[in-house]
Amino acid sequence: MTVQPLDLLQGTLDVLVLRTLAWGTMHGYAVSRWIHQRTDGVLEIEDAPLYKSLHRLERAGYVSAEWGLSENNRRARYYSLTAAGRRQFAAEESAWRRYAEAVFKVLEPT
Amino acid sequence: MTPARKKLFRLPWRTARQIRDDVDEELRFHLDMRIAALVSLGVSPDAARAQAAREFGDVDDARRYIGAVDRDIEAAQRRSDFMSDLWHDIGYSIRKLRAAPLFTLAAIATLGLGIGANTAIFSVVNGVLLKPLPFPRADHLVRLRFTQQGHSDVATPMDLVDNRTRATNFVGFSVIEGTTANLSRDNADAERVQGVRVNANWFSLLRIAPLAGRFFVEGDDDASAPNVAVIGEQLWQRDFGGDKSVIGKTVRINSTPFTIVGVVPGDQRYPVTVELWMTKHWAPNELSDQSRGARWLGLMGRVKDGVDVAAADNEVEKISEAMEKQFPEPFRERRVHLVSVQEFLVGDLRKPLFIVLGAVTLVLLIACANVANLMLVRATAREGEMAVRTALGAGRGRLVRQLMTESVILSLVGAIVGLAVAKLAMHELLGLAPPNLPLLRTASIDGTTLAVTAIVALLTGMIFGVMPAMQVGKHDLATALRAGSRGTRTRPATNRTKQAIVVAEVAVAVTLLTGAGLLLHSFANLLSVDPGFRTDGVLSMKLLLPQRSYDSTTIRNFVRALETRARALPGVRSVGLANFIPLDGGREDYAFSIRGRPPVRPSDAPSTEARKISPDFFATMGMPIVRGRSIASTDVPGAPPVLVVNHAFAQAFFPNEDPLGKTIVLGWGGDPGGDAREIVGIVGDVHSFGLEEAPEPTVYAPMAQRTDQSISIVVRTDGAPANLAAPLRALVRDLDREVPAYSVQTMDERVASSVGRQRFYASLIAIFAAVALILSAVGLYGVIAYAVSQRTHELGVRVALGATGDRIARMVIGEGLVLTAIGIIMGALASVFAGRLVSSLLFGVSALDPMTIGSVTLVLVAVAALASWLPARRAARVDPLIAMRGD
Repeated sequence: MTVQPLDLLQGTLDVLVLRTLAWGTMHGYAVSRWIHQRTDGVLEIEDAPLYKSLHRLERAGYVSAEWGLSENNRRARYYSLTAAGRRQFAAEESAWRRYAEAVFKVLEPT
Repeated sequence: MTPARKKLFRLPWRTARQIRDDVDEELRFHLDMRIAALVSLGVSPDAARAQAAREFGDVDDARRYIGAVDRDIEAAQRRSDFMSDLWHDIGYSIRKLRAAPLFTLAAIATLGLGIGANTAIFSVVNGVLLKPLPFPRADHLVRLRFTQQGHSDVATPMDLVDNRTRATNFVGFSVIEGTTANLSRDNADAERVQGVRVNANWFSLLRIAPLAGRFFVEGDDDASAPNVAVIGEQLWQRDFGGDKSVIGKTVRINSTPFTIVGVVPGDQRYPVTVELWMTKHWAPNELSDQSRGARWLGLMGRVKDGVDVAAADNEVEKISEAMEKQFPEPFRERRVHLVSVQEFLVGDLRKPLFIVLGAVTLVLLIACANVANLMLVRATAREGEMAVRTALGAGRGRLVRQLMTESVILSLVGAIVGLAVAKLAMHELLGLAPPNLPLLRTASIDGTTLAVTAIVALLTGMIFGVMPAMQVGKHDLATALRAGSRGTRTRPATNRTKQAIVVAEVAVAVTLLTGAGLLLHSFANLLSVDPGFRTDGVLSMKLLLPQRSYDSTTIRNFVRALETRARALPGVRSVGLANFIPLDGGREDYAFSIRGRPPVRPSDAPSTEARKISPDFFATMGMPIVRGRSIASTDVPGAPPVLVVNHAFAQAFFPNEDPLGKTIVLGWGGDPGGDAREIVGIVGDVHSFGLEEAPEPTVYAPMAQRTDQSISIVVRTDGAPANLAAPLRALVRDLDREVPAYSVQTMDERVASSVGRQRFYASLIAIFAAVALILSAVGLYGVIAYAVSQRTHELGVRVALGATGDRIARMVIGEGLVLTAIGIIMGALASVFAGRLVSSLLFGVSALDPMTIGSVTLVLVAVAALASWLPARRAARVDPLIAMRGD
């Protein structure tokens, strides 16, 4: 994956969202909490870009959305990965790993 | 939600407002959840709200962004739904159409015929009448049309001089003098081409540029200027292979050397049949007041760009009036008007072509009516299907869309068939067209026409095609479903529509058939006219002896040699010569006086057509001598000058006297006092200018006493006259290589081509009438057959109650005939108007000819009876058991 410096956050966020939804169908709030807990709040991700990402991924056909009932019986929008989304996640994940390894190789003292 | 589920259930489409509400709800859910979670951790509600908002970030920006993205998603969804519906509709429509092959074929054939015929005819009308000639500002190119004392007249050289010196609204004027040119090149047989002599400004008046070389320049028409000629592109390609080196080459035209200086683009030839342009050189006395009585020229002018053509017309009229005052004798009651060159060229065609166009529009109307009818019949049959689909949840819009798809598919296929029909029809039309219809050959299929016609047909199909879907909403589903999928219910309203359409179709067919009948009847009348000569067994041929190499003595020698050698050809019974022969278009008219009668003013002097013939001409043509004698071989120079007059001449000028022995003084040049000749015989009349033209007074002088450059030869044989063409041509080539024989035709062929136009119009209208008849028969059959199938049950009950098959058949046929009768009455009324339209094209038959109207009625009744008999036979065979069990 080629990552432009300015795209870093947006691209990163899309990968994180795809990863989260790979666990299963969930609504936006659950996605937000899940990422928050997994990163221990280190990334300080705001919720606004997260929702933008969800809808953007829906437009790209990686994610589908459906209204359903939440655990407290409210109407909530549930997201799940499509087949295309699964393929996209696999591709981005391996690209990210190579990217991160390359960065680490530079940072690691030799 | 999985993709598979998505295909099964389509989410209802969301509006922009619904999208906004959904976004708000999603974001509110998030914030509420977060606040509740924080409160449960012990944070105060106010602080929790603030923290949730902080963690969220810019809510308004997110709302805008997400809204935009969702609208994109929605639009994409709609597009893909539309496409998948479309594919579904197309597939469904094709299955439905294939399931009803008769209906489909009938509709496509109807559309194809209607669209095709209309396109072909309109393309011709457009190409010939509406498309301007290919010259810049062609509307300002005008011909001067003269009349004198009510008769059409042509220009004298002085008309050129008068208008050129006096008119201010014109760029310039040029004369046109038609001429036959014998064109000889080195190492090739001479050929005869259509030529024209014009002023040097001719091509600058047309405003065209040469394809090669140059056009005439000022001074080319001076008496002392060298002979130059311009050739047409077709001649250039045919004789010179399109080689540019032809410029500057010398050819011999009528045995005079000419230098070729330029080539005219093929599509910009004017006059259209001309291939050779030469400049007009005037004899010294031709441009003087003495020549005001001599009329043989055409005159063209170009009106200045800023000037109204009406103003220019006014100006030439004023000039003509002034000249009449100055020269009252030659110009008495002489009038002039401007006509555009286009009008001059095709003016005669306007009316017939518009009539043909009207006829073909009627055919299209019938075609549309038929399509409408077919659609309606089908619609009724599909009420059950529509009801079932509605019950299964299809909206009316959805049904309309599917039916539209069906109509569009039908119309598209119909249009493709139409294009093929148009191509074929154009080809046939041009093949059928007589060669003397100018511009017709330049017509080609017009894309706009095809599109317009196809759209008309398409709209018809669509309007009537969606009717079943419209009707679904009108009555309750339960009734339609209960009536069963067999669609056995009939509403009187649709039936009445169908019947009205059939009545209209029959009416239009009657109108067309009447028009066709009238034209065919007058064509038959025309063919039954006795031309005044025997047309069989005679070959004719024309040639021109150039003035440069032939004087009267050499002409006499040539004629004698030609006559002798032609007579010696095997199979030849007799040989006649003349300057013009009947139906060759040639004529010369001269004023004359009758010796012994009081003198009259020159402009009141009678005039007659005058021809020159050899002694055996009448015998060869089979023209009977009524009284006196024919021209004899003793009527030679030095012998007393004689004339034979025709019957029409004797009737017109000697109604109560014996013309034999009287002396006629002909003003045809030579002796200024006139040429005095004694009438020695009376010959039968001949239709020289067309079978529909009454014979004109004509005098025949011996060719030996009055020679002529123009020679026609007629040869009578016992065998096939066409076999003599080759030996005769060879004979002429042998006598003079620079004199080509042309217009080699049997007299039968001349008669046939003289009625070419009439045959063309009559066959066109007849074709349309036949198509109209077939289409309306199909329409009638469709309606009756459908009515019978609707009434199977009722008919079954009747049979069960004792009605015989004959009785049932009579009842069904009777219904068809009632519709036909109404149509015939309406059509007969319309025919009265149509007849008036074509009356100018009729010959020997009245526009209200009872014979024609009677036979048309008979034909239609017969066709209608047949169209109803087929379904009636089926009705008569209805088995009451089966018919009633069907319930």
